[in-house]
Amino acid sequence: MSTDHTNVVPSYMKVFYTLSVLTVLTVVAAKALEFPHTWGMIGDILHVTIGVVIAIIKVMCVMYIFMHLKFDNPLIRIAVFVPVFLFSVMVFALNFLETWHYTY
Amino acid sequence: MSAGLSLAHEPVTRIPHGKLLMWIFLASELMFFSGFFGAFIVLRNTNYDVFGQGSAHLSWPLALLNTFILIASSLTMALSIYHLERNNRGLFRLFLGLTICGGFGFLIVKWFEYSAKFSDGLFPGQQHHTIFYSFYFLMTGFHALHVMAGMIPMGFMWMRSFSEKGYPFPRKVETLGLYWHFVDLMWIFIFPALYLMIPYHAAIPHH
Repeated sequence: MSTDHTNVVPSYMKVFYTLSVLTVLTVVAAKALEFPHTWGMIGDILHVTIGVVIAIIKVMCVMYIFMHLKFDNPLIRIAVFVPVFLFSVMVFALNFLETWHYTY
Repeated sequence: MSAGLSLAHEPVTRIPHGKLLMWIFLASELMFFSGFFGAFIVLRNTNYDVFGQGSAHLSWPLALLNTFILIASSLTMALSIYHLERNNRGLFRLFLGLTICGGFGFLIVKWFEYSAKFSDGLFPGQQHHTIFYSFYFLMTGFHALHVMAGMIPMGFMWMRSFSEKGYPFPRKVETLGLYWHFVDLMWIFIFPALYLMIPYHAAIPHH
């Protein structure tokens, strides 16, 4: 691994704090949008969008710093980020299409 | 094979074989969980009431506690690798031990969560809430199995770290670390999907 001569501990701590804050934010956003009749279908889409976007940011932080993709061969970075991107597209597309289809 | 050819790293990418194999394994794991998530989304949007009522019945504070435990254990795992690479054996042992404790903590919280569901008569495959609880037990159960599977080699490494030579293989710990972080990543998606995203169409009974 190429972190041998680098002090990565401050980066680890920053990621840990970021993950903690984003986790709290996920819960706060979900609870704020829990009154469905006020928001309707927009609320459901917002609900899912916010949850998934925060999850993706958290995943990127973990992979980039904790899993050392920042320090690894760029080939690995491409090989990992492309499936994660496709997974995210799948989650968004399925959710929006299904919500739209069964609402209208 | 030529005796002069170094086989420690893959010749093009320069990535250690063990690490590359772990990434390939994690890719297959991602596909495994993608199937769950895809099916979950489609069925959630065709069974709003069942999923809404099921989700509302779960204990999100316990899941939140588990999220923090896993995040902290990811940090301690990364720190244990960092210290082993610098030959700080005591700190390596400390942080790996804390990671194992995190795994145990996660499973204990999960035990309480499952016990509450069982005492309420909620099982997978029942008539009421069938689909949601089948997903709940499958997704969280497989995830808990992954946690247990990660703790076994971790415990072995930790035990060996008490020997005179310590644990001399930082690459193996790093490879195991990739697996442990992946387990954390999956929970990052499972937590909001199961516990927080109650569909707005669902008729949730108010108490």
